[in-house]
Amino acid sequence: MGNILLDMITTSAILFLTSAGLLVVFGVMKIINFAHAAFITVGGYATFVAHEIGLPPILGPVFAFGVGAVLGALAEWVIVRRLYARPLDAILATWGLGLILGQLVVLGFGRGVQFVPPPIQGTVAVLGTEYSLYRMVLILLAIAVGLGFTALINGTRLGLSTRAVIMNEQLAQGLGINSARVRLITFAIGCALAALAGSLLTPLTSVDPLMGLPYLIGAFMLVMVSGGSLPALAVACIVLGGMQAIISTYLGSVLGGLTIAVFAAIALRLRPEGFARA
Amino acid sequence: MPDLADTSRPAAMRAVLSPRGVKRTAILAIFGAAVLVGPLVLDPYTVNILVRAFFVAIVAVTVDILWGYSGYLTFGQGAFFGLGAYTLAITFSELGFGPWQAIAAFGGAMLLGALVAALVGWLSFYPGSTPLYATIISLVLPIVLVQLIYSGGNFTGASSGVVGYFSFTFMTDTWFRIAGIATLAVAGLAHVLVSSDAGRLLRALRDNEMRCAYLGLDTPRLRIVVLVACAAVAAAAGAGYAAFGGIAAPENAGFIFGTQLVVMVALGGRGMLVGAIVGALSIELASAYLSSILPFMWELLVGIAFVAVIVTMPAGLFGLLGAAARRWAPWAFTAPEPVTLRTAAGRAEVAQAGTDDIVLEANDVSKSFGALTVLSGVSLTARRGELVSLVGPNGAGKTTLIRCLADGREASSGAIRIGGTATDKLPPHRVVRLGLGRKFQAASVFETLTVADCLRIARAGRDKPSLVTTSSELALPAAARSVVESSGLDARLEDEARHLSHGLKQALELAMVLALEPELVLLDEPTAGLTRAERQRFADILTDVVERERLCVLIVEHDLDFVRQISSRIVVLHQGELALDGSVDEVVNSQLVREIYSGHQVEKTGEVTQ
Repeated sequence: MGNILLDMITTSAILFLTSAGLLVVFGVMKIINFAHAAFITVGGYATFVAHEIGLPPILGPVFAFGVGAVLGALAEWVIVRRLYARPLDAILATWGLGLILGQLVVLGFGRGVQFVPPPIQGTVAVLGTEYSLYRMVLILLAIAVGLGFTALINGTRLGLSTRAVIMNEQLAQGLGINSARVRLITFAIGCALAALAGSLLTPLTSVDPLMGLPYLIGAFMLVMVSGGSLPALAVACIVLGGMQAIISTYLGSVLGGLTIAVFAAIALRLRPEGFARA
Repeated sequence: MPDLADTSRPAAMRAVLSPRGVKRTAILAIFGAAVLVGPLVLDPYTVNILVRAFFVAIVAVTVDILWGYSGYLTFGQGAFFGLGAYTLAITFSELGFGPWQAIAAFGGAMLLGALVAALVGWLSFYPGSTPLYATIISLVLPIVLVQLIYSGGNFTGASSGVVGYFSFTFMTDTWFRIAGIATLAVAGLAHVLVSSDAGRLLRALRDNEMRCAYLGLDTPRLRIVVLVACAAVAAAAGAGYAAFGGIAAPENAGFIFGTQLVVMVALGGRGMLVGAIVGALSIELASAYLSSILPFMWELLVGIAFVAVIVTMPAGLFGLLGAAARRWAPWAFTAPEPVTLRTAAGRAEVAQAGTDDIVLEANDVSKSFGALTVLSGVSLTARRGELVSLVGPNGAGKTTLIRCLADGREASSGAIRIGGTATDKLPPHRVVRLGLGRKFQAASVFETLTVADCLRIARAGRDKPSLVTTSSELALPAAARSVVESSGLDARLEDEARHLSHGLKQALELAMVLALEPELVLLDEPTAGLTRAERQRFADILTDVVERERLCVLIVEHDLDFVRQISSRIVVLHQGELALDGSVDEVVNSQLVREIYSGHQVEKTGEVTQ
């Protein structure tokens, strides 16, 4: 029993980590970043590289975050920025970007599977069971990402500009806010968070060119359901992640893997405006 | 004279014999000959690759119809292809191969594709769904399908797919001809459909779905119907592919394939059937040759080309070629047929027979967003032959009231009846069918359609458009026709709406709304941004229509002089409440209106507000 409860919580934490970056981009730019999965993969490989060049394990996620941010900023500058007026095309272009990143990874590292030794090993006794310590740490990390981003949005000048752009981009521009810069930084942070998630996943999964893909649809659906709000995303992750863990345990992992997509699709059909103001 | 010949022949024959029809037949004959001769001149490997490519091209055509023509970006068409492939493979594995099994397999594939598409359509399209949401759902379908295939055990062959069943024993050359002719047939049918009067609806959906809904078109249903048809075709192509290849594998259904289809259509040229087909054939062919020579490089190059095309030339390669051809060889293009205006048989008798019947009845209508009330307890009646102006300062709730009247789901409470029927919870297209026409504040037309086509879309609810032929006539009710003629739009019927001036776009939208033969017309600041002369002409048209057709017009307007000139009654909204409802003189000379419009408070009411 304790085991399932912990599975539910840690599944939610992983979902939150893997969808936060997507939400950031969606919230500000109103587009879905289809390259999200590729950036998760990039984060995994960045961690692998960090390990190879001998960085201490604690710096792996930091390195991945940096790589994601730089590549994200570059992608925004070269591609996405030209497509503000055509949102569906912007989505397509990010899909193309994902293809390119995926192939670059394959060219650089091959199709094979890489392993990164986990920074934290062992188990811990919680709620009467022995549970993976690393998965417990992920809960804290998810909370840290959520709080960190909330602080950034609510406590800094950049956050203020961002909120202004979200509410009324034209007015914000008229008030002298450089909305192009806000978009650049937003996209970079979104990609960096995806890469960070990829890095944090490395102890749980192998690093391969398609490692980000399984998280893509779940992240899409969670972000759509949450309607672009971070607290709503957290709630969606807890509810749907919990359901996923339960269904995976009792009905098998195949149905478990479909939980989020199916339930979120039906939920959105019944309540199209999302659950941001629920 | 062609005219004489025309009238004595059936419509279908006329379509074939017109210059356009001759061109179509010639193109079809050339490609048909190429398909028949192809296996004789190509090497066996290429022929083999092209058979597969033809089946893929058929699906690409459906992607182009859904995305390029009707604006629904879908990654799910690959799933319908896979569904068809699996249906055939499982039918042949379980029931053996034979004539009736073949019929069952193809019929079952199309039926299953159609059913799944109906479900996906129901999930994706409803009044108020967003294009982004529909796109995401199109991604969910292949993912769910592939998971089901993986967990299907021996029945679906899990990850290795269904193989080893007996199928047709045609030679590859025969398959080439079958698949090639099937592709041509699908492309030909699709071409006839998209250039028919009904096919214009697809582009109208793409350009402006909201306008479609406010022209009384059930846009979700329309989209579902198109998706169901496209899914059935894609499933049939998948079945054909499995019959040829002897395998149905998970990657035939997966979302990677679905996205590859979008890449093909984007590179070839969306919104052009030839672009979709050439895109599919060339990518299939090139990847068959290049993926063995440059295994990783090839996909990288496709990715880069894809992004470059999306960013720099959204029309794709054929869009670019088409534009160049239009510039350098305009003689190759047949000029659009001139459109002749006709007056549609209207409901003149209804308009005259009516006495002072009530068209609009709003009772205690309120609208609030959470704790914020923007409209509270507004009651209003309007009759035939009345021109009611709705005035009030910014934020008084005028546009909100218009929205509540036009969309039965908007109001938080209260009752609205249009033509005697309650609009409660009705989506816009149903309200429009009760006799309402709404003109938006910013001119809302179909930018890439011609003026005549915009007006035809407005008539689509009354004169069922043909799925096959293109009409060269435009029948409009008298009121709409008079707007078209007096504004000078009649000289520009063949021009695309995006090339019109702001004033003409406004006139076009008004004509479209009047073409619905509404009983109640809502106009939200129709004269904003018009020149003085345009404004005067607009006033003349409006008063004329109200008088002649005995329409009821409700107009939001800021210019008090304009309001005074045209109105038969004025309603004042102030802070979300109905403040005044009376004759022009009563309202214009009232204390409140002077106060609102002069900007300073008159003592008496000043005390009240403090």
